[in-house]
Amino acid sequence: DLSDSEDSVFSGLEDSGSDSEEEEEEEGGGGGGGRSVRFCEVLCAVQDIRNTVGNVPMEWYRDFPHLGYDLDGRKIYKPIRSQDELDHFLDKMENPDYWRTVHDKQTGSDITLSEEQVALVRRLQSGRFGDVDFNEYQPTVEYFSRDVMLHPVTNRPADKRSFIPSLIEKEKVSKLVHAIKMGWIKPRRVEDDSRGRYYDLWASEDSSILARHKMHLPAPKIPLPGHQESYNPPPEFLFNEEERALWEQQDAADRKLPFVPRKFSSLRSVPAFPRFVHERFERCLDLYLCPRQRKMRVNVDPEDLIPKLPKPRDLQPFPTTQSLVYRGHSGLIRSISVSPTGQWLASGSDDGSVRFWEVCSSRCLKTVQVGGAVRRPVCLTHLDSRVLLLSPSLADRQVVSASELLLSDKEGAEPVQGAESLVTWSEAEGEELNEGIRLKIQHPKAVHQVAWHAKGDYLASVMPDHSSHLQVLIHQVSRRRSQNPFRRNKGLVQRVSFHPLRPYFFVATQRSVRIYNLLKQEMTKKLQANAKWISSMAVHPGGDHVICGSYDCRLSWFDLDLSTKPYRMLRHHKKAVRGVAYHRFYPLFASASDDGSVIVCHGTVYNDLLQNPLIVPVKVLRGHAVSQDLGVLDVTFHPSQPWVFSSGADATIRLYT
Amino acid sequence: MSQLQARFFTENKRYAVDDVPFSIPAASEVQDLSHVINTLLQAKNESHKQVEFDFLVRGQFLRTSLSSHMETEGISTEEVVEIEYVERIAAPEPEECMMHDDWISSVDADTEWILTGSYDKTARIWSTEGKAVMTVAGHKDVVKDVAWVKRDGLTSLLLTASLDQTVLLWEWNSERNKVKARHCCRGHTGSVDTIATDPTGSKFCSGSWDKMLKIWSAVPTEEADEVEEPPDRPRKKQKTEQLGLTRTPLMTLSGHSEAVSSVLWCDSEEVCSASWDHTIRIWDTESGTMKTTLTGSKVFNCISYSPLCRRLASGSTDRHIRLWDPRTKDGSLVLLSLTSHTGWVTAVKWAPSHEHQLVSGSLDNLVKLWDTRSCKAPLYDLAAHEDKVFCVDWTESGLMLSGGADNKLYTYRYSACQTDAGA
Repeated sequence: DLSDSEDSVFSGLEDSGSDSEEEEEEEGGGGGGGRSVRFCEVLCAVQDIRNTVGNVPMEWYRDFPHLGYDLDGRKIYKPIRSQDELDHFLDKMENPDYWRTVHDKQTGSDITLSEEQVALVRRLQSGRFGDVDFNEYQPTVEYFSRDVMLHPVTNRPADKRSFIPSLIEKEKVSKLVHAIKMGWIKPRRVEDDSRGRYYDLWASEDSSILARHKMHLPAPKIPLPGHQESYNPPPEFLFNEEERALWEQQDAADRKLPFVPRKFSSLRSVPAFPRFVHERFERCLDLYLCPRQRKMRVNVDPEDLIPKLPKPRDLQPFPTTQSLVYRGHSGLIRSISVSPTGQWLASGSDDGSVRFWEVCSSRCLKTVQVGGAVRRPVCLTHLDSRVLLLSPSLADRQVVSASELLLSDKEGAEPVQGAESLVTWSEAEGEELNEGIRLKIQHPKAVHQVAWHAKGDYLASVMPDHSSHLQVLIHQVSRRRSQNPFRRNKGLVQRVSFHPLRPYFFVATQRSVRIYNLLKQEMTKKLQANAKWISSMAVHPGGDHVICGSYDCRLSWFDLDLSTKPYRMLRHHKKAVRGVAYHRFYPLFASASDDGSVIVCHGTVYNDLLQNPLIVPVKVLRGHAVSQDLGVLDVTFHPSQPWVFSSGADATIRLYT
Repeated sequence: MSQLQARFFTENKRYAVDDVPFSIPAASEVQDLSHVINTLLQAKNESHKQVEFDFLVRGQFLRTSLSSHMETEGISTEEVVEIEYVERIAAPEPEECMMHDDWISSVDADTEWILTGSYDKTARIWSTEGKAVMTVAGHKDVVKDVAWVKRDGLTSLLLTASLDQTVLLWEWNSERNKVKARHCCRGHTGSVDTIATDPTGSKFCSGSWDKMLKIWSAVPTEEADEVEEPPDRPRKKQKTEQLGLTRTPLMTLSGHSEAVSSVLWCDSEEVCSASWDHTIRIWDTESGTMKTTLTGSKVFNCISYSPLCRRLASGSTDRHIRLWDPRTKDGSLVLLSLTSHTGWVTAVKWAPSHEHQLVSGSLDNLVKLWDTRSCKAPLYDLAAHEDKVFCVDWTESGLMLSGGADNKLYTYRYSACQTDAGA
């Protein structure tokens, strides 16, 4: 049983052809020479059951009780198989020869291989010859070598035909020559391309594609290995102690070399390269991250990027030097105002007085003690909670008399309604009348600012208060009437101003400027100042531009036609901006700051809506001393000359021309 | 050391030297040249006394060494240099200091009397020796300008212009020392900043902050002109305030767009006015029309006219004194700029007897004496004032006056060289 299976296995390995098996069987039967047969004989001596069905699929016998027929023609019955998977498993676990037991399909029996058979299988599996004794490396016998032998391999003499011209070839050539001469054979025709079979496929190529091809950027090349990469570099490329220490200290990205050059006696002793994967990865990264396109670098001179601003010299006239100092006040001067003719200057100070100065001689011609700090005189002052209208009687006598008439005219005054009696109007009498005070408007709270309407009949006063909606009051002088234009509190009001031409009203709160239409009684615009706390505001005489100074050192210029955001932010001051002013007709504006300087800027406004205002800072005017962290508190322009007045915490007013 | 060929000449026959070229060191300065001339004169005339000379090379005063002067002026050193020499102008000597109660706004002096206007609303008359003679009070506001009109023996007519928009014409008798307001000139609607009387003394011109120039008669009469009063004006008030007889202007010249800061008479029919609107205008008083406009770039504070050289000098807020030729037809050519002041120039005055010299006062507290032949630097700085200078004057008797915000009126004796005056 065993031997037969053994044989079949062997024969199967050696030659899977069915013929050989039959042959074997015949031989086996005949007892012919050959290793396998001899081998089988040994086994067969024990028990010779060999299936004679041949190389047919064993499935054919699936429904039969037998598997085939032995040499005598008897049926070979299938062994009784009662083993299930569990028995298999137990067998696998317990039988030490399980690993060398094979199933013979032809007999249906299990065969345990002998040591020899196992060795044979192993040898064949490792690709060696089955025969142990076979020598694969037998010495070869070289029949032909490079050595010229004394005796030739053959000694046959050369044929005669090898040195006599061939008649047959001559005949063929002469035939061809004759045919060519006769014109039977024509030389190879040159193809002409008149039919346009061949054309430039890329003639109509878009030049942009060509340009793109030109822009192609080849992948970065790996630098060629140098001496440092050598396995046996010259000694100067090897690291000394210092260099090595440095290399180890450095970050991997900062190293000049990614490896340490090393020296080996021979190429054979070079170990495997440990950074191989790393290096491949870096290379891939290089390729992946390398630019795909040539970037068009424009060489721009940084100077050209600076906007072309005209030179200050070309923007004259503007104030350049300090000309006059108006001394006389003892407290810091909160505000100044110039008369429309430009002859007089009024100043209100913390020492509780209003002074009137002659502009051209810095002479104080009139002092009115009003008691309490004066915040804003405009031929009128207002202090803690009263607004006083002063008639300086310095103007034209007829104008004076007209305004006196206006101020003393009681006919137009309406009886004040009880609910609306926010403020109290009263006439000045006696001593105050002689001093020039004409009217008093008693306010419930401290008045911080007063703004006149261009016509002079209306004035607005500001009483900043966080909680109340009663912050702005508009007074009509001729009718002695006051009204509160706002129902709700929209934030702390800092400044108010009337539009110079149209019925608009500007209200600057802490962070924004609101513009109200007084006719329609609605808000038309809200300007965002981008500042923390607006300190001052001025409206351009054209009415389309507003500048705002803020306590965070900024000056923002708004173009009302352009946007509600500042058109330009100027950060020239080092400290809080206290006052801003426009000139009435020169394209100038000025800002006063706590750093003691007044900065005069040129600001041309164009009628063309497409052209933005031109803003050029032209002059820094210094002169005021900073006292108690307060520098220049107010700034105003002369109405007709390019001169600027500034009042400061050092109790002086300065005129710059 | 290099040498220069120089030929000296002078217009003064007394100090004439031979008309031959001399070789002088190029580095020689004024003292060296003066010494040369003195030596030459002494060689000619034993009795010659040492005289300080000043030297002019091509009409410019020599102030540095000769070589550097010629280099800056671009004069070739190869040729013979013509050097004119004149007797050195002596420094003005301070004489009197007259204390006022308040700032001095204006001064007008003639050979005998000095008239000053002050911010204490009065005008004062002083003798040239510095004695206060008379206080003319009557204005309700600051006196901005004063002027003498004419003098007939002991009685003089004088004018004061004030911030109260009037000009008062006074009659002053120096013997009895009585002053009487003859006329109150009403018509301006702004402060009257400047007045000027014409050469004949029969008319005067006033300029005001109301941008107008008005020409008035300076002849005192016994009747008042009719004034149109606004009907609603309280009648009682105006009569009590009246001082002297009301006078109305003969003519109003309008054309300036800003305040008029200074007026003067070029001759008997021509008025010149300077204004804050950056123009100087010349008016014909016969027809009342404007003849010429000279346009500057800054506010004009003051002008002065010299009939000797026929030039206008103007002081403006940009620290320069400019010389103009009023005869140019709208060319507005600045002939020369004199630059040394550091503040507004508030007053200029030509020398009455010298065609090259003028005096100027400025807000930088200095009074400067100029010679137009040396425009880079003044001849003398008169640093007497401690505050702003508002007015200067120069009389024909050689007295220079200056007043300012330190309440002091200084007089300086200017010793005009008789030799030079004729030049």
